[in-house]
Amino acid sequence: MKKYWAIFTTQLTNRLAYAGDLAAQSLSIVIFMWIFMQLWRATYRAMGTDEISGLTLRQTLWYLMLAETIILSKPRISRTISEAVKDGSIAYMLNKPYNFLLYHMSVGLGDYLTAMIFNLLSGSIIAWLLVGPPPDPRGWPLVLAAMLLGWLIDFCFTALIGLAAFVTEEVSAFEWIYQKMLFILGGMLIPLDFFPQWLRSIAQALPFAYTIYGPARLFVEPDLARFATLLAGQIIWLGAMGLVVTLMFRRSISWLTINGG
Amino acid sequence: MPAIHVNQLRKTFTAKQKAAGLRGSLKSLVRPEQQTIEAVKGISFEMESGELLGLIGPNGAGKSTTIKILTGILYPTSGEARVLDLVPWQQRRQLAYQIGTVFGQRPQLWYHLPAIDTFALFGKIYELDDGEARKRIAFLSEAFEIEELLKTPVRKLSLGQRMRCEVAASLLHKPRLLLLDEPSIGLDVVAKQHIRDTIRRMNELEGVGVLLTSHDAGDIEALCKRVIVINHGEIVYQEKVSTLKRRFLTSKLVDVRYAEEINPDFTLDGTEIIKTGRYGVKLRFDSRQTPVESVISRLAEAGSLVDITISDPTLEEVIRKIYEESGT
Repeated sequence: MKKYWAIFTTQLTNRLAYAGDLAAQSLSIVIFMWIFMQLWRATYRAMGTDEISGLTLRQTLWYLMLAETIILSKPRISRTISEAVKDGSIAYMLNKPYNFLLYHMSVGLGDYLTAMIFNLLSGSIIAWLLVGPPPDPRGWPLVLAAMLLGWLIDFCFTALIGLAAFVTEEVSAFEWIYQKMLFILGGMLIPLDFFPQWLRSIAQALPFAYTIYGPARLFVEPDLARFATLLAGQIIWLGAMGLVVTLMFRRSISWLTINGG
Repeated sequence: MPAIHVNQLRKTFTAKQKAAGLRGSLKSLVRPEQQTIEAVKGISFEMESGELLGLIGPNGAGKSTTIKILTGILYPTSGEARVLDLVPWQQRRQLAYQIGTVFGQRPQLWYHLPAIDTFALFGKIYELDDGEARKRIAFLSEAFEIEELLKTPVRKLSLGQRMRCEVAASLLHKPRLLLLDEPSIGLDVVAKQHIRDTIRRMNELEGVGVLLTSHDAGDIEALCKRVIVINHGEIVYQEKVSTLKRRFLTSKLVDVRYAEEINPDFTLDGTEIIKTGRYGVKLRFDSRQTPVESVISRLAEAGSLVDITISDPTLEEVIRKIYEESGT
C-alpha cells in the first residue's frame, strides 16, 4: 500500500504546483451557486413555504454546494483511461510493479482532493454569503468519509467506461449517459427529496445516489443513523462495482494489443 | 542460464480495414474486413547475462514488438520466451522488479515535476527502503552527471538531458537487464554519444545486460558486441558486431587527390570508379578481391599524391547489403 500512498502524494504535489489554476477553476462553482440561488429563492417564494420536502432554502443551497463540489472536483478518469487504451500507453504502465487500476485510483484521488479543497472553499464562501452559515460542523468528518467512498464508487464506473475503449474505441457516449445519470438520478441538479415518491425510490436504489445525494444530504442533516445506512449502501455498491471493474480489467489485458509502435 | 531465451516467437495483429470514402465506411459497418499483419514471424535467439545486444532493423521490422513481448506488455501469438527465467506475459509483475525499461517515445518521468520526485516515487514503487533509494539516486546522478538536472521540472529539460534522466530512472532498482527501445531517437550527435557512454559504463560497472533496439546503426556500432538484424519480422542476420564489420565492411571507399590534373578516363584494375574530377577520383573496391596494398601502391604510382582517405561503409549500407544478399 505504501507505493500507492507515494503515488497519491506525488500527484498532490504535482497538482499543487498549479494552485493558481485550481483556484481559477473553482470560480465556476461560484457562478453555479449564484444561479441556483436565483432559481430556488424564486421557487420557495412562489410556493409560499419555508420548507419543501423537509428542506429549507438554506439547506437546499448548502446541499447543492456539496453536490456541485463533488461533480466539479471529479477527475476525468474515463477520459484518461480510454486515451491510454487508444494510444497504447496503457501497455507501458503494465511493466511497472503496480496495479494499473490502483495506480489510477491513487492519481485520481490526488486530483479529486486538490480540486475539492478549492471548490469547497469557493463554494462555502458564496453559500455563506447567500444563505448564512453551513450545517452542523460535527457532521463534516462523516461527510468527508462518505464523499471518499462515493468517489470510489464513481471511480469504478468511470474506470469501467474508460476500459470499454478496448471494445468500442470511442467512449464519449457512455460518459455522457453516466454524467446525466449523476445529474438527475444522483441528485446533483435537484435533491432527490423533491422527486415524486416512486422516482425517488428508484433513484435511491441506484448507485448514482451514493456518490452525490448521500454525502450531500448527510451534510445538511447529519445524524449517525443516516450515516450508517449510507455507509452500508456505499460498501455494498463499492464491492459490487469493484469486482466488475477488476474482472473487466483482467479481461481487457488479455485482449491487449498496442495500436501503433 | 541465458538472460533471454526466445524460441519461434510469433506475433500477428489483426487490423480493421476500411476502403476510402463514405461508401467504404458504410461497407465496413455491414461487413468489417480484417487484415492480418505478421509483425514477428517466428524468431529465435539467446542473450547471455551481462551482454550488450543490439536489435536493429528499419521501421516496422518488428523490433519494438519483440521488446514489448519480452517486457510482458504484449502477448505473443505463439512461441516461447523466457526473460531471467520468467515467462514475461505470465509473470509480468515479478519480472518488472528485475528489468528496467526505457521506451524512447514514451517518457516515464512526470512531466511537471522535477525528476528527483519521480526517482523518489520509483523508489517506493520498486519497494526500496528510503536509505537505499537515497544512496542509489546519489550514485546514479553522479554516474549520469545529472545532479543539477534532477531538481529542474522535467518539462524544462532538453530531450538529451531528459533521456539521461530516463535511463537513470530505469536503473534505480538495480535491474539485471535493461531493455531500451530506441533510446537515442531524436537526439543530436553529442547527446547520443553521452547516452551511449553512460549505458556502456553502467554495463561495465554493474554487469547489467542491455538489449537495445534502434534504427540508428551508430548506437549498435558504439555500444553492442553482438547484433541481430531484423527485417519484416524475421532475423536476417545475427553475429558479433566485429564479424559483421569484417564480413560486410570489406567494401572500401577511396578518395584520392593529385597535385596535377588527371586523365579523365582514369581507370584502375580491380576497382570501380565512382566519380572522376579534374584533380581527384573517388573509387570503390572489395578488399577480398583486390588487396588494399595493391590499390594504394598503384594509386601512388599514377601521380604525385596530395591526399588519400579510405573509409568503411556505414552500418546502414551494411544492412542494405545483408538484405540484398538474403534476397529480401
